[in-house]
Amino acid sequence: MSKPSDLVQGTLDLLLLKILALEPMNGYAISLRLKQVSGEVLQVSDGSLYPALHKLEQEGWITAEWRPTENNRRAKFYSLTRLGIKQLEKESANWGRLSAAISNIVKLKEA
Amino acid sequence: MPLKHWFYTLPLRLRSLFRRDHVEQDLSEELQFHLDQKIREYLAAGLSSDEARRKACREFGGLELSKENCRDTRRVNYIQDLLQDLRFGLRMLGKSPGFTFIAVLTLALGIGANTAIFSMVNSFLLKPLPVRDPEQITTLAFQLKKGPLLTGFSVPELEDLQAQTTSVFSDVIGDLFGAGGLTVNGKTEPVYVYFVTGNYFTALDIKPHLGRFILPSEGSPTALSPVIVLGYNYWKTRFAGDPSVVGKTIAFDGHPVTVIGVAPKEFHGLLSMADMQGYMPLSMEQVDSAYDRTTPVNRELRSVFVYARLLPGVHFKTAQSALDVIASRLAAQNPKSEEGMTLGVYAERFSRPDPDPDRTILKIATLFLILAGLVLILACVNVANFLLVRATARQREMAIHTALGGTRGRLIRQLLTESIVLALCGGICGVLLGLAGSRALSSIRLHTTLPVLIEFQFDWRVFGYALVVALLTGLIVGTVPALRASGRNMIEVIREGGRSISGSRSRLRSALVVIQVGGSLMLLIVAGLMVRSLNYAQRSDLGFDPRNVLNLTLDPNGIGYDKSKGLQFYKELLERIDTLPGVESASAAFTVPFGYFNDFDLLEVPGYEVPQGTAVPSAGFNAVSPGYFRTLRIPLLEGRDFTDADQEDSQWVAIINEAMAKRFWPKESALGHEFRAVGDRAHLLRVVGVVKNSKTNSMIGVVREYFYVPFAQQYSSLATVQVRTTFPPETLVTSIREQVTALAPMMPISEVRPMLQALYTVNGLLLFQFAAGLTGCLGLLGLILALVGVFGVISFAVSQRTQEIGIRMAMGAGQSSILKMILRQGILIIFAGLAAGVVLALGMASLVGDFVSGVSPYDPLTYFSVSTMLVLVALVACYVPARRATRVDPMIALRYE
Repeated sequence: MSKPSDLVQGTLDLLLLKILALEPMNGYAISLRLKQVSGEVLQVSDGSLYPALHKLEQEGWITAEWRPTENNRRAKFYSLTRLGIKQLEKESANWGRLSAAISNIVKLKEA
Repeated sequence: MPLKHWFYTLPLRLRSLFRRDHVEQDLSEELQFHLDQKIREYLAAGLSSDEARRKACREFGGLELSKENCRDTRRVNYIQDLLQDLRFGLRMLGKSPGFTFIAVLTLALGIGANTAIFSMVNSFLLKPLPVRDPEQITTLAFQLKKGPLLTGFSVPELEDLQAQTTSVFSDVIGDLFGAGGLTVNGKTEPVYVYFVTGNYFTALDIKPHLGRFILPSEGSPTALSPVIVLGYNYWKTRFAGDPSVVGKTIAFDGHPVTVIGVAPKEFHGLLSMADMQGYMPLSMEQVDSAYDRTTPVNRELRSVFVYARLLPGVHFKTAQSALDVIASRLAAQNPKSEEGMTLGVYAERFSRPDPDPDRTILKIATLFLILAGLVLILACVNVANFLLVRATARQREMAIHTALGGTRGRLIRQLLTESIVLALCGGICGVLLGLAGSRALSSIRLHTTLPVLIEFQFDWRVFGYALVVALLTGLIVGTVPALRASGRNMIEVIREGGRSISGSRSRLRSALVVIQVGGSLMLLIVAGLMVRSLNYAQRSDLGFDPRNVLNLTLDPNGIGYDKSKGLQFYKELLERIDTLPGVESASAAFTVPFGYFNDFDLLEVPGYEVPQGTAVPSAGFNAVSPGYFRTLRIPLLEGRDFTDADQEDSQWVAIINEAMAKRFWPKESALGHEFRAVGDRAHLLRVVGVVKNSKTNSMIGVVREYFYVPFAQQYSSLATVQVRTTFPPETLVTSIREQVTALAPMMPISEVRPMLQALYTVNGLLLFQFAAGLTGCLGLLGLILALVGVFGVISFAVSQRTQEIGIRMAMGAGQSSILKMILRQGILIIFAGLAAGVVLALGMASLVGDFVSGVSPYDPLTYFSVSTMLVLVALVACYVPARRATRVDPMIALRYE
């Protein structure tokens, strides 16, 4: 099993919420999008993507429905709930504070 | 968690629980879709279909692992595991019905005993009054110069309280107990009613079952309102629940009264354990009362019980300090009647039946709950022992469980679920047993026609208690075996092949049995003490002779007889009875010894100086006809008996007991001296006789001051005719009844019973009998459980040591040495238990000591005889399996695996 440990704790949730905020998507499309936007820097294995999605669903932040894809197969599409929108706002703000703090520390020059 | 959250998640949880196959199918389909897409992607990139599939799978990682991780997010695992454990537990129990039956029965006995006793405690102490905000209701009481705590107030005192406490109480209400006769369609029957203040029902704020209640305007002691509200049960029995009775006119003590309503079913009046049959305005008590309660000067005519409703937000302390101020004000204003008065406010719930600073009822409840709890512990120990044996037998199963990756926590959870299932089954059966038990307790005969209400109902409190007890039992019973079973090293177990002789395990089991023997010994010692106390009370010298006396309670006022007609009636009746064959003497009295009515008053004795710091003198009294002392065989020590010459218009006289003579006139004869009862200051009573002390309303303790007045001078319509017979008293019932009917065909007779039986009242022998019976039952139960424990542990030891015994016998050990070896273990357990039990009993002694009389709670004889009995019985329980050990055939034992 790989990778969520490579990501800062909780950032996968943020990424997934952000991606779904743009448009409802199925799991496969999410994995493609993840790879594409992060330019392969963030590696999320397919095996750990689904538990993460299910966790968000159980939290009530995203909701799923079965819909046909372009090539007419049934797929599970996830979309953000209103709770999810709030959660995304909260986590983005958190992330902003955290990354700003960390980059400040990293930029410190030795005296 | 916000509600909105549940809006999204609840459907998911429910789906995960109840549509599990759907959810699983969705999961597979979702992951499959992903894989398929991946494969398509690789196919498009030019890979062969095999390669594409392999690559897609590799990238995905473990498909099953991913699924399992998805399942873990569903948050219903605990519930699912629980359901699984429940199913498994039930299956395991079903597999060994013998074990299940014994274990459930054992637990049911323990839980049942607890439930029954708790239902009693519940109805005495916990059940709130069925009125609005029952926690606001308080009981008021007072003391005069630190004398006894009194609950009877006079009407003027009640009115003062009503007027002066408006800052702390929203209402102050009063009720006065009364007996009379209720005539419906020409038939009169005795009835017990409350005469209540007009604000009684508005203050309680309850709704009538039918019609209306008494109005505030009807309650004034001076305004006459001839109305009656019927008690629900009385309405059901006397009027067959006929709703048209409302509005009808019936007669109370010969006076017409209109039925205006019926009280609700659950309301029985404010006196606990009584079921009032009717409620009338306080004014109605005055209609033909001998006492004038309305005159403001009669501040000492005290018999009204007073309750008050606290204003919302007012605390007891505030109310108490307000009452302190009022008490000192009343004392200053009325130095004659209220000097040294202190008022007290008590929560109604803790004042049943009377406010009691000693909390006696609470102590009794605690004692019995402890004893019942002990029985439950004994039952738990037995079942824990069973489970330990089973755990040994199931070691293999658990080892395999662990080998297959089950965690220790999961195993403990499963074993605990099993024991809790067992305990809940026991709990259900226990509640049924408890129901039967509390029925039996409710059917105690109180030997009175008073409308006594003993219903140990099962409400949610009792069920809640049983549930908590059952769950705790399951946890206690299961924890030790579960921890031990799961703690074993699995490899060791599998290697041993179940052939272990695990010393530490049987040491634990022996220790548990030691506790059992100790606990049951303590129960038996308490029971023994209670039985001895009952014996003592039964044999104690009452000071009168209750044998061959028949009691008949009558109330001529009930059919409208006034005082002179009533006196004439009693006089003629006694004369008629005297002529009957087999009758030695007959007399009438307001109350009988240990009866439920007791008159009591404060005394003023001219020439007697109340010693500084002691309570104002008081005494119980009784109004009796000439011949009373002859009938009860109470020796007259000095002076004379009452005669027919002692009439209302002659000198008022009294006969006092030795205790009273000694207290007030210690140095001279009491004859000719005079005293006053403050309830009736108009009359000075002259002592004309002194009788020997006799017990009147307490079996224990020293006899207190008591006096008798002539029936003709202080007439009470409600009275008991007592007849001393030469034959067994029961044989005369018919002929005496005939005499009553011949004199007054309409006269209701409310109680007919021999005096010997009338001793078994609450203030007589009943509580002794009850305590002895109840502790006896608990002791017996404990004994049985302990014997099962001893028998079980020895039997198990024998079966575990079969091989060893076989070897010993093969090497030439005789039967007697085997017997000795096994018995030694049993004797060790029994004596260790004995020591534990004696220590336990000594620890309980101070609590028990409050409830036994005539025997010390450390009584060596009881300790010794009960211990001896227990040892003998327990030895038999050891001997049976030990004997079996000696019959072991060495050949079979050696082959035994």
